[in-house]
Amino acid sequence: MASIRLHDLTKRFGRVVAVNRLRLEIQEGELVTLLGPSGCGKTTTLRIIGGFEHPDGGDVFFADRAVTRLPPEKRNTGIVFQNYALFPHLTVNENVAFGLEVRGVSRPEIARRVGAILDKVQLSGLGGRYVHQLSGGQQQRTALARALVISPQVLLLDEPLANLDAKLREEMRFYIRHLQQEFGITTVYVTHDQAEAMVLADRIVVMRDGVLQQVGAPHEIYQRPQTAWVADFIGLSNFLRGTVVNRQNGQVSVRTPMGTFDAIGTGTHGPVLMVLRPESLHFQGAGANRLRGIVRERAFLGNLLDYRVECGPDCVLRVQADPSRVYQPGEQVDLTFAPSDAWVVPDQDERA
Amino acid sequence: MTEGRSPLFVATVALLYFFLLAPIVIIILAAFNAGEYLKFPPEGFSLRWFGEFARSGPFVRAFWFSLQLAAATTVLSTLLGGMAAFYVVRHASRFRDLLRLLVVSPLQLPAILTGIALLIFFYSTGLGTRGMRALLLGHTLVCLPYVFLTISTVLVGFDRSLEEAARSLGASPFTTFRRVTLPLIKGGVISGALFAFITSFDQFPISLLLVSVGNTTLPLQLFDYLRFSFDPTAAAVSTVSVLMSVGIVVLIHKLVGLESIAWGGPR
Amino acid sequence: MRRSWLILPVLLFLAVLLVVPYINMVRMSFLVKPPGAPFINEFTLANYARVFTDGFYWMILRNTFWYAILTTFLTLVLGYPLAYAIARAPNRRRPLLLMLLIAPLLVGVVIRSYGWLILLGRVGLVNEMLRYFGRQPAELMYNEIGMIIGLVHIFMPFMALSIAGALQNISPDVERAARSLGASPWKTFWRITWPLSLPGVFAGILLVFVLAVSSYVIPILLGGNNVLVIPMLVVQLLLDAFNWPLGSALAMVFFGLTAMLLWAYVKIMNRALRWSLR
Repeated sequence: MASIRLHDLTKRFGRVVAVNRLRLEIQEGELVTLLGPSGCGKTTTLRIIGGFEHPDGGDVFFADRAVTRLPPEKRNTGIVFQNYALFPHLTVNENVAFGLEVRGVSRPEIARRVGAILDKVQLSGLGGRYVHQLSGGQQQRTALARALVISPQVLLLDEPLANLDAKLREEMRFYIRHLQQEFGITTVYVTHDQAEAMVLADRIVVMRDGVLQQVGAPHEIYQRPQTAWVADFIGLSNFLRGTVVNRQNGQVSVRTPMGTFDAIGTGTHGPVLMVLRPESLHFQGAGANRLRGIVRERAFLGNLLDYRVECGPDCVLRVQADPSRVYQPGEQVDLTFAPSDAWVVPDQDERA
Repeated sequence: MTEGRSPLFVATVALLYFFLLAPIVIIILAAFNAGEYLKFPPEGFSLRWFGEFARSGPFVRAFWFSLQLAAATTVLSTLLGGMAAFYVVRHASRFRDLLRLLVVSPLQLPAILTGIALLIFFYSTGLGTRGMRALLLGHTLVCLPYVFLTISTVLVGFDRSLEEAARSLGASPFTTFRRVTLPLIKGGVISGALFAFITSFDQFPISLLLVSVGNTTLPLQLFDYLRFSFDPTAAAVSTVSVLMSVGIVVLIHKLVGLESIAWGGPR
Repeated sequence: MRRSWLILPVLLFLAVLLVVPYINMVRMSFLVKPPGAPFINEFTLANYARVFTDGFYWMILRNTFWYAILTTFLTLVLGYPLAYAIARAPNRRRPLLLMLLIAPLLVGVVIRSYGWLILLGRVGLVNEMLRYFGRQPAELMYNEIGMIIGLVHIFMPFMALSIAGALQNISPDVERAARSLGASPWKTFWRITWPLSLPGVFAGILLVFVLAVSSYVIPILLGGNNVLVIPMLVVQLLLDAFNWPLGSALAMVFFGLTAMLLWAYVKIMNRALRWSLR
C-alpha cells in the first residue's frame, strides 16, 4: 500500500489542456473518486497515475517515491478498465495468473493465490472458462481479481461499473467498497456518476476542464459546494441570486428580489447565489426564511413528490416533499427553509 | 499511448512503403524521362513518350476498348451485385451465409482457372466465343464480388428506422428507396462501381483467355509489348493507368472512407 | 421467398457462368484428345493417369507450392510491421497510410511487373547504377528471385490489411492491462498482441497462399523462361498444345491438392483459435 501524491500535474493534447496543474494527496488506504463530466480530465489523470500518459509537467509520487518516469509495468498498480480489458484468448485462471507469471512467481504459489482470489470474488469453479463465456458481472469480478492478485500498491478503477445494468451496478458499488476496505488498498476511482461517487468515496475530487474544483467528503461536496458550478453539478439545486447585506459569525443575510433571507457561508462578498436543495424546502414550516409561491407542476417519484413552485418573476423552485400531503397545481403555498440549509456561494462562475 | 515508436520501427515501415511504392513511382519517372532507358543518372524531363502513346494505334485502340469494357462491366456488375447485396443483407434468412459465399466465390477461385473454365465452356457450347461479349461476362463475374461486398458493408450499417420513418410519413416503398435509401447509400454504391471499374480495367488472366484477335485490352497490349520492347511508351501508358487508380482510391476514400472498406468500419 | 427477384438474376448468372463452366471443366478432364481437335466426347481416365504418373508434373507441382509458401511467409514477415503501423497510427494519419497500401492494389499486375523490370531488369536502374559505379550487374529478373519479389510485392497489402483488421480489433486497454500487470512492451506483444492478432494472420495466410499458388502473370513476366508453375503449364496445354482434356485434368489435380491443403490448414487453425469461437 502506498499514498499517492500528484504534484502540479499538467497534460496537454495539442491546444487542449486536459489536466491543469493538478495537486492532490491521497492517503494510504483511502478511496478517492475523480468525478466530473466527460472531458474533465479525470481519465487522463488516472492514465498518468497508471503510467500510460506522460505528464507535460508535474510529478506523481507513490509513498514519496517519484514514479513519473517509470513505465506502467514498473509501477505495481492494479487497473480495472471500463471494458475490463480481459485477455480474450486466456481463461479466467490464466487471466488472473498473468501478472504473477510475468513476475516469475512459482507455479504452486500462482495456483494458490489465483484460487484464493477467485474464492474471494466468488468465481471459484469458473476458472477454466474463456472471457466470452462469462456474464458482465463475472467479467467485472475477474478484472478485479486480476488487478488485486498482484497485491498492487495502488488500485485504479476507470468507470468500472459503466457497462453493467442498473441493478447490478448498485450491488457492485457496495461490493467494491467492501473489497477495497478488506484489502485496505489505496484506490483512485474515476466516474461520472455522482451517486456512485457518493456511495463509494472517502473523498470526492470534482474536476472540470482539467482543473480541480473541490476536494472533500461526499457530504461536504453536497452540502458545502464551493462554487455554483459544483453545486449545480452535484445533485439538484435551486439558486437564488442576491447580495450579502449583513454578516455575523458565519451567518449572512442575503437580499434577493423575493426578500431577505438568513443563510450560511464564509468569505463571500458582493453578488452571491444562495443554494437551496429541493429537499431542504418545506411547505408550511416554521422560521423566518419564508417564500410565497404557486404550485405550477407536480410529478410523482415514488417515495417523493416533485413540485415546481413559482415564487416570482424568473423564479421557479424545485421542491421535493414526502407524499403525505398533496398540493394541487395552482394552489398557493408557503415555502420555508432553515438558515443552515441555505448555502451561499459567490456569483461569478457560470453553472454546470 | 506513450509507447513511442522506436526509430528502428519507423525506419522499417518507411522501407516497406518504399518497397511497395518504388515500382509504381519508377514508372512515372520513366514516362517523363527523355531517354530510351531510365539511365543513371537520368537524362532530363520530356513529354515525348506521352506523344508516342497518343500516336500509337494499338495502345490507343486498346485503351478505348478497355474503357468501354470496364464501363459496361461496371453497369452490369453494379446492378447485379447491388441487387444481391440488398437481398442478402435485408431479406435472406436461412441461406444468407451460403448466398454470400456463392456471390463472393469468383474472388476466391483462381482467376486463371475461371478463365479456362469459361473458355472451354464458351467454345464447347457455342454460347458465345471470344470477343467483347465473352469478355464482358467474364469481367462481370470477377467484378461482381467487389460491388457486392462494398454495398453490403454500407447496408449493414444502415439505420432502417429512417426507412420506417419515411413509410410512416406516407412514402411508398419505391419513393422511400429513391428519396431516403439511395441517397444515403450512394457513397457505397459509387465506391463499389469504382472498384468494379478499376478491377475490370486492370483485369488480366481472364482477358488473356477470352480475348479475340484485334480487340485487345490495355493490360494485354502492354503485356505483349513488354515481351519485345522496353521503350518508355509503355511507361506513359502505365502512368495514365496509375493516375486513374490513384484518383479512384482517393475518390473512394472521400465517399465511404477507406477504413470501412478495409475492415468494415472504423473503431 | 420475399423479394426473391433481387437475387434470381445473380443466381442465374453465377449458375451459367461459374457453376456450369467449372462442372464442364471436370467433364472435360475425362474426355479424349484426338489429333487435330481439342477434344471428343469419349470417356477416359488417361489424362489423370498421365498427370499422376508423370514425374515432370509432380516436380512443377512441388515447385509451385514451394513458391507460394515462400511468398506467403515473406508477406507475413513484411506485412506484419506494416499492419501494426497502420492499426496503431493516430487516427488522422491512418487514412494516408491505408491509401498508400491500397493504391498499389488497384494498379494492374502488368504495370507493377513492368515497374520491377525498369528497376531490377538487366538494363534496369539498379544495374545501371552498379555499372556506373563499375560493378558487375546482378541477375535480378527473369528468374526465381524476380518472381518472388514480384509476388511478395503484389500480395503484401492483402496480408497487411488482414492483420491490420485483427489488430484494430484489439482494445489498447488490453495491452495497457498487461503492462499494468508487470509485462514489458516486448512481453506484452508476444503474450497478448500477437496471439490476439492470429485470426488476422491466419486469414491473411489463407488468402495470400490461394492467390500466390494460382498466380500466372507474375511468374510469366518476372520469372521469364526460367520458371515454370502449374498455372503457366495449364495455359500452355490449353492454348498452345490445344490439349483441353489434359489441361483440365492437370487443373483439377492442382485444384484438388490445394483444396486439401487448405482444408487441413483450416482444421488446425480452428483448433488454435478455439478462444475466438463464440
